[in-house]
Amino acid sequence: MDQKVSRRSFLKLAAATGAAAAIPGCQPAARHLVPYVVPDENVTPGLPTFYATTCAECPAGCGMIARNREGRVIKLEGNPLDPIGGGSLCARGQAALQGLYNPDRLAAPRTRSGDGRSSPISWQSAMAQLISQLKAAASAGKDRVLFFGPPQGPTLRKITEAWLKAYNSQRLVAYEPISYQAITEAAQRCFGRSDKPVYQLDAAEVLVSFGADFLETWLSPVEYTRQYASFRAPRKTDGKTTMGFAVYVGPRLNLTAANCDQWLSVRPGTEGAVAMAVLNAVVEQGLVRPESGLDPNVLRQLTANFGPDAIAQQAGISAEAIRKIAKQLAQAKSAVALAGADDEVGQMAAMLLNAATGNLGVTMKFIDAPELTRVSTWSEVTDAVKAMREGAIDVLFVSQVNPVFTIPPEVGVAEALKRVKFVVWAGGVPDETAEFAHLLLPIDHPLEAWDDVSPRPGVMRLRQPVTRRVFDSRALGDLLLDCIAQSSPTPSAAPWKNSLEALKATWRDVQNQVAPAVPFDQFWTKALSEGGVYVEPKVASVTVNVSTLGEPPKPQVLADDSFALTCFPHIFLYDGRGADKPWLQEIPEPVSQIVWDNWLEIHPETAKRLDIDEGRVVEVVTKSGRIALAAHLSSRIHPQAVAIPIGQGHTAYGRYAVGRGANPWQALPAGRFVTAAQLRPTQERYQLVSPLSGGDMMGRPIVETISLEQLERGIVPQEEEPYPEPYNMFEPYQYPKHQWGMTIDLNACTGCSACVAACYAENNIPFVGKEGVAHSRIMSWIRIERYWPEEGKGPLMLKMPMLCQQCGQAPCEPVCPVFAAYHTEEGLNGQIYNRCIGTRYCSNNCPYKVRRFNWFAPSWPHPLQLQLNPDVTVRGAGVMEKCTFCIQRIRFAEMQDLTGQQRLTDGAIVPACAQSCPAKAITFGDIKDENSAMMRRRKEHALRNYRALDQYLNTQPAIVYLRSIYRERGEG
Amino acid sequence: MRRTIIAIAVVLVVGAVGTAAVSQKPWLPRPDVVQPIPFSHRIHAGLHHIPCQYCHEYARRSPTSGVPPVQRCIGCHGTLAQKGALTPVTRPWTDHKGAPLEIRWNRVYTLPDFVRFAHFPHIHAGIACQSCHGPVETMDRVVPVYEINMGFCLNCHAQKRASTDCVTCHY
Repeated sequence: MDQKVSRRSFLKLAAATGAAAAIPGCQPAARHLVPYVVPDENVTPGLPTFYATTCAECPAGCGMIARNREGRVIKLEGNPLDPIGGGSLCARGQAALQGLYNPDRLAAPRTRSGDGRSSPISWQSAMAQLISQLKAAASAGKDRVLFFGPPQGPTLRKITEAWLKAYNSQRLVAYEPISYQAITEAAQRCFGRSDKPVYQLDAAEVLVSFGADFLETWLSPVEYTRQYASFRAPRKTDGKTTMGFAVYVGPRLNLTAANCDQWLSVRPGTEGAVAMAVLNAVVEQGLVRPESGLDPNVLRQLTANFGPDAIAQQAGISAEAIRKIAKQLAQAKSAVALAGADDEVGQMAAMLLNAATGNLGVTMKFIDAPELTRVSTWSEVTDAVKAMREGAIDVLFVSQVNPVFTIPPEVGVAEALKRVKFVVWAGGVPDETAEFAHLLLPIDHPLEAWDDVSPRPGVMRLRQPVTRRVFDSRALGDLLLDCIAQSSPTPSAAPWKNSLEALKATWRDVQNQVAPAVPFDQFWTKALSEGGVYVEPKVASVTVNVSTLGEPPKPQVLADDSFALTCFPHIFLYDGRGADKPWLQEIPEPVSQIVWDNWLEIHPETAKRLDIDEGRVVEVVTKSGRIALAAHLSSRIHPQAVAIPIGQGHTAYGRYAVGRGANPWQALPAGRFVTAAQLRPTQERYQLVSPLSGGDMMGRPIVETISLEQLERGIVPQEEEPYPEPYNMFEPYQYPKHQWGMTIDLNACTGCSACVAACYAENNIPFVGKEGVAHSRIMSWIRIERYWPEEGKGPLMLKMPMLCQQCGQAPCEPVCPVFAAYHTEEGLNGQIYNRCIGTRYCSNNCPYKVRRFNWFAPSWPHPLQLQLNPDVTVRGAGVMEKCTFCIQRIRFAEMQDLTGQQRLTDGAIVPACAQSCPAKAITFGDIKDENSAMMRRRKEHALRNYRALDQYLNTQPAIVYLRSIYRERGEG
Repeated sequence: MRRTIIAIAVVLVVGAVGTAAVSQKPWLPRPDVVQPIPFSHRIHAGLHHIPCQYCHEYARRSPTSGVPPVQRCIGCHGTLAQKGALTPVTRPWTDHKGAPLEIRWNRVYTLPDFVRFAHFPHIHAGIACQSCHGPVETMDRVVPVYEINMGFCLNCHAQKRASTDCVTCHY
């Protein structure tokens, strides 16, 4: 063998040494300092600036505060002034940043030629193309231009309408894939109103949900999570300890069901019928409240087809259970019934239940103000598709919705799009619909543009640009106004120069209604800095309108021999719009704990019968289509049901979304989420990945619980004999100034994982992908642990946020050979990255398994790295890391206190997890300050205090958990 | 045999280059930095007694002291110069139309990414700028006087009884 050093080997060597010279850490920092030419008076380099805006990730419209550093937004937090979000955000709201900085966002306009390939063009020629097509369509006849977008705020809507009018058209579709049409239709039939009600869950004592996932995606999850937490808070009523009693009726134990006292497993599609049967039972048992003014005979007639006995048999539950719910609802001082968003029968039943039990205006309210956001009905959507198919549309402008993905194939959107002469797609990450577009235009993210939104009657919120544009995009409103200005000679078509001007015009009207005496500039500045106007909404007085109730509905029955496929929006991915955000893909779905995929959930007994095992790829065949995806066995689903989360199965929509799972809309009939299905196991297998190994606590009381009875009688649950006198190896630490601690109320925590997303955003935590999670390399500093209790005992599901416990006697500290893990003067378990040499001893010795090791150097594809928090070190390969209690926030507050700029009072430091928590389950504070909110919370709930595993390990954590309260099964 | 030689050669070369890279100590203040314009701290801070924080205005409230915006330079050199009080300095921070241009200063002081230093608590504690930056008011071109390493910081922190806890600066 010739072993001479060839020229090629030499070059390889040279390259290798060159690479070695560039070892990270030895690289110089930025070599230049480039100051502003003219300083921005709102920007102080090194300090954050805050802007109020409104979340656009779902229709709930929570207020948020964007934290901006040197011109770019790095973190989103809840706006405490906003009564909807209440100062919190969910995981989806937190992850809006990754939509803004998504590396797959369209960077410049593109045009598609006949062969299907797209190429970039300038904005100028894109606009010229668009305008010439629009003009041609306008002169070809009336209504040949169609705008297909999401429900818009008042300003954008009036701009869009003006734009359509300029091109001789009125076709405007405001499409919401998971619409609340059933709610508005039921409200129309019951009360003659076309708006959605708002609920006050914390005013109820009994809550029954007929398939409404109000802790996940239903209507306003952050608001309802907050209300549910206070509904579930223990309190003394008439000298008795009590808390809200909740029942969930549905085929699957989802996060909402898991947080209730009782889960009634019914066949999919029967939730509405059960609700009607409950209403029937209320009437039959003579429980209709006289003060409700309702005639029992009307209700008897309406629910005639829903006798509890017959319905119970269909649903697979006992008639006794239905009658019991009826009693509980009717006899409670106040109660609330909720129903699934797509279930008109259920909605009617729930609304009438609320009315019949005297809770209209108490727990369910209508607001006395006009609904400003219009959502197209399903038939309007299908009519638009039909018009496209018939060739009646010349120009389709589709923006920020994905009809190809979210409308079942039997409606034929794909074929219809091919018949449209010119399809313009305007949005962020090009999705399935963009594949059909002739012209693709990059549109500003909601964090980059001026806008307003009215999430519910009487509520007006503003959106403002909170960051510099990331790509060469334009605001949708500006683009539409530009079209009008460039194509119509008369300026009257749109009286506004740009969308900001149009917005101000709308808000002048708002001012006239809200504060006519205040000068507009003053009003505008205040509204802008607070994120909107906050006026106490007037509650409308509403009564049941008997004349519009209509024909008594009939129960729909699925054939007995097939499975009912039920599809539900994924808590993070929603209708699929979250799938392009790596945080939302990587945070485990709270109940199944599966990451980066969707799955077919099936009962183990059924699976055994059909010869399906975990990870088996199963073909799901329905009348509407077929899809194949991996099975996940769970005993917490009805045996005759299979369930698939919506949101995955993208064929476009960026690198993080493509090629994961299957899109259940491909197998659903139009406008329904439940259908009969056949299952065919295939020979293939597919690995579903979860960071949690099983759901068994292995006999260790990690998540502790207390029953309501024990709480009442003051008994602290003891699993076994406490350990003998704990042995301390070291002298106890002295904390001269502060000792930071946390109190986490496990009874308030629902497991929604907002804290996890907030932590990813605040602490520059890298995502590792499905492969990485499979190799146990997930980097999250805080996680939601989910365990299953012993059969028939305790709550339905055990969950707890697990993060570094900041132990007083920490097992990680003494084993570090280089003092990288050490005890700080303020009681934290410090982790000094520059000292760490990566032995991983600390992680081995940590009983809570909260330490994370960087197996690789983290990477964020451009421009995701623009989101990184400049106050937190980005850790390199070979370094251990873990929760720091947001030390950067602690240090900043301490330094400000030193300089007297802002005193370090209780509540001045709020870690990212506590800030985001919709249930306000996490409180942070100083253990040495007896009066801190955190310590008071401990003392108020002394009986529920426990430190995780402390009684066995004597780790003396700084985190005190408050035990989760449950009712004994069958009680209540 | 050849393989061994290659292996040894690789180790030697990597070692040498690595040592060279580390011995340059790229995280330390650099004495050889030349700025794009001949700005003199001696004339401004020394001769004319302009306080440091007149230009480095963020130092008292922000972690970063801030390099003055070009507007700040023009504030004196534009208006005062017109009244004849100062020699008008127009280049190189304006283009041929007189519009201001950005100045790309070269960094003299730098710290590694895992050190989180904030100016404002030091200013409020009454630490003179010169304690770390040396007598800048005597320098035409700023050169570092002290090697700012952890020992330098800790010496002072110990003397002044400031916190010497690791997480004070490393997180």
